[in-house]
Amino acid sequence: MRRVKFRAQVDEEKCQGCATCQISCPTGAIQIVNKKAVVDEKKCLACPNCTDRCPEGAMTLVPLPEPKILYVDPSDVDQEQLMELCRKAHLHPHQWGCMCNATRVREIAAAILKGAKTLEEIALMTGIRSGCTVYCVQDMLRLLKAHGVEVQEPSYPNWYDTTQSIWEVPKEKQAKYPGHFLEEDKDAFRKF
Amino acid sequence: MLSSTQKILNPPFIRESKYGPPIGERAVNLPEITVLDLRTLFPDIPETIYQEGGDIGVIRKATEKALESVNMDMIKEKDTVNVLSSQYGFQLMGGDAYAEMLRTIKDVVEQRTGCTNIRLRVSTGFRIKEPQEIIEHYKLKEYFNGKARGVTCLDKGVPIETEIGTLYGVASIYDADWIIHAHHGELRELDMHRMINRAIKPFAMSYARLETRGVAHINFGPRSMNFIQKVIFDSPFVQKKFTFGCFLLTSPAGITGVEASHDMEEMDRKLLLFDLKPYGKVRQLLSKIEECIVILDGSGEPRYMLGGGMTFGNFTEAELDLFDLEINPVSLGFNLYEKPPGPRVESVNPAIKALVINHMWLGVPQMELPGHIPTIVVGRDLEDIVNADPMNTEFMEYAVTAQNLEAGLRFAKKIAKTDKILVFDGSFGSMHLSQSMADFLVKAAPGVNREVEEELMPKWLKQRGIDPATV
Repeated sequence: MRRVKFRAQVDEEKCQGCATCQISCPTGAIQIVNKKAVVDEKKCLACPNCTDRCPEGAMTLVPLPEPKILYVDPSDVDQEQLMELCRKAHLHPHQWGCMCNATRVREIAAAILKGAKTLEEIALMTGIRSGCTVYCVQDMLRLLKAHGVEVQEPSYPNWYDTTQSIWEVPKEKQAKYPGHFLEEDKDAFRKF
Repeated sequence: MLSSTQKILNPPFIRESKYGPPIGERAVNLPEITVLDLRTLFPDIPETIYQEGGDIGVIRKATEKALESVNMDMIKEKDTVNVLSSQYGFQLMGGDAYAEMLRTIKDVVEQRTGCTNIRLRVSTGFRIKEPQEIIEHYKLKEYFNGKARGVTCLDKGVPIETEIGTLYGVASIYDADWIIHAHHGELRELDMHRMINRAIKPFAMSYARLETRGVAHINFGPRSMNFIQKVIFDSPFVQKKFTFGCFLLTSPAGITGVEASHDMEEMDRKLLLFDLKPYGKVRQLLSKIEECIVILDGSGEPRYMLGGGMTFGNFTEAELDLFDLEINPVSLGFNLYEKPPGPRVESVNPAIKALVINHMWLGVPQMELPGHIPTIVVGRDLEDIVNADPMNTEFMEYAVTAQNLEAGLRFAKKIAKTDKILVFDGSFGSMHLSQSMADFLVKAAPGVNREVEEELMPKWLKQRGIDPATV
């Protein structure tokens, strides 16, 4: 669950239309129109990316009159399907999928079972990818792929499709790099 | 039983940052806080060449000496060189030693190779503006002739073909003919590196794109994640550019030296041998604490805030011997902190009965703290920064605010029902703590010394393929 309390605001006098904010936005909330950044408030989750990366200091976060709550109730979906999706992705439903919000993997899985097909759609439904915007990307990509969704990288470097995991390292690679406890850590995951 | 009643006159340096509040009263000036020299506890803590406020020329000399043995013939006059640095080095004892090591590397490379196109890269975790703060504070842009640049994991990536497929580095890390890996050996996140490939960890972290950091942290386990920096470092792409690594060596007492080498496996082994005993003893001593109040009062986020040369993050997991490779902490890859009926896994050392946060930086997720420890934030300024931090939007739902430090500590004592206090404020060489905590640690130290020397170190070494008799 995410309580979004702010939104991004553009100072048009400072904005040079460089599009750094557009590239950094995890939900596609920013477009460049007539060489100025324009924020779609409905899509803004108030992550720090645009404000911190803008080279002109043109982006600030301003409070919303009322916070908006983003949440997908995992009990709304078929529980067997949810468990199966998590199992296929090698993720525990109770794990944190997003550390910034303490959003669990089961919520991300539920969003996907409800039809989310991209990282942006998952973020807009659950509110994840609105804090550090970093660690939750892996859980989202792994669950999407486990659900059979063909992920497509954006044309600009917002995220790259790379999801290697401990479950896919071939035995011959493990043998080439002894002392890294891959099998042992897999056993530890299996116990959970 | 107290070893020392010397009061600290100069509390450890806090660098001003947009991620933290204005610097106010300091915990070491509280009447109940005193100082305990680490050598009172463990006389064999290595001698230091530098502690905060010392002669920075010592670092320059040590770096120059370390670089004498490094071959730089591969660097030609017209080549470009990136000196790679990571933000946590600048949080060690005010950051001056690390900054001076970087300056010295530049000077020596210039002198020996004639190459003048030497650029500094300052990389960060999540605090996007931090590299710029660092560059400005230490005047690194001037020193590197305008060629100092911050790096974040959101920046454009460069594909690196590894044994397990394509991973991504940050393009501006690798946009030179050569890279110099300037790092340090401070223990930091033992729960993640476990002293496996410690020397090259930045290749999967500071120097990597966000997806690759996620692959390491989320898609692998608490030991196996260190496989990722190995496959990246060993890749033809990185090996083609890699020249050498230059490391600030540390112990809980301070900086003990500088080492440089082309061979990162050799460096890894050296870091292990340098770190195991002093850090092992201090960490094991902290594991004996059964109750305490912690005051956080330094630069950086709580996890990496130092006290007595040991990070608070290590104290939050001190009840687990994380040098022991048979122990699996709950890591980012499978963090399961949830009340029943979910899986029950303790995320924070239950000995920490209350947490008083007098100063910290935000910009890193740390919900596990107020979620598990009664947490008191000191002052409205800090509360406002916490509330505005997108990575900690619910933090204050689980914490309370005190008007000032004395009020916060008074409240903490009521909750914690103890007067044993430990301060994490960036200190090295000594712990800042209450009298009762000092007495407890002095009493526990001899037993810990024996335990580490006779039982734990032999085990830790054998697990890593090192015969203790040869050390």
